Amino acid sequence: MLLVPCPNCGPRNSADLRYGGESHARPDPATAAPLQWRGYLYLRDNPAGWLRETWYCRSGCRRWFTLERNTATNEFRDPPQPGDKRGAKA
Amino acid sequence: MADSPAFESPVVRSYETSEDGDLLLTDVSATIKWLVRASPDGAVADQLGASFGSSSAAASGATVLGSRPGEWIVLGTAAEAAGAVEGLEGLDSSDLVSCLDWTHGRALFRVTGNEAARMLEKVCSLDWSDPMTPDGAVASASVAKVTCDVARNDVDGTPSYLVFCDRSFGQYLFDALIDAGDEFGLVVGPAGG
Repeated sequence: MLLVPCPNCGPRNSADLRYGGESHARPDPATAAPLQWRGYLYLRDNPAGWLRETWYCRSGCRRWFTLERNTATNEFRDPPQPGDKRGAKA
Repeated sequence: MADSPAFESPVVRSYETSEDGDLLLTDVSATIKWLVRASPDGAVADQLGASFGSSSAAASGATVLGSRPGEWIVLGTAAEAAGAVEGLEGLDSSDLVSCLDWTHGRALFRVTGNEAARMLEKVCSLDWSDPMTPDGAVASASVAKVTCDVARNDVDGTPSYLVFCDRSFGQYLFDALIDAGDEFGLVVGPAGG
């Protein structure tokens, strides 16, 4: 079982959350080139190591948050604190 | 609820009921429920007095549950609940505040008994022991795979839990709780409000 540290609810079973994928900055719609949009929409780093990702606490506080997970060991680090404004698109 | 259509519980099957049992499950869906949304640290939050994960008693007699950051559930009789939410929407002009009567939209069950925590732990991954969830604690979690709000609300010193879910899951959840409580001698109490 993967225990995800929700900033509001505390450690929760990952089955109570929804995985939101890698977290990366959205390009500026006014200036982004098609290649940048393609990269944002379809390309993922998928590292074997630390990755910043988004989660949605669907059964608990219903808030999006981002944190870092080691995809090789499933360790978490840098969880946001309650009231942190980092959202899905941070 | 005076202006609302007559309330019909989502629990439509009939059960043999009794008030004598060590573990009692009661359908209290007819209780008046309001949902309040506002800033978690604004004037509305100060007035309601229940932070996320805790509950409080309003001056009107209603029970206020801090169910999520910036969300509260107000329970009580029609007069109590209306008294607790009255004026909230105009309390702070800089805050977006909404008050919604969702009595008809949510099922509400009460589980009472010394084995209630053990029963809940069969269908929910949270720790319902006294140190983690004392009287007044509120949490949202999956109960029998249904997203629910759960509040500990002891009755005369006996552990008691209020379980809310969307109305459409009411009948399923009621049956799932009966199944979970079977080994603890659960009996179904007469529906109340």
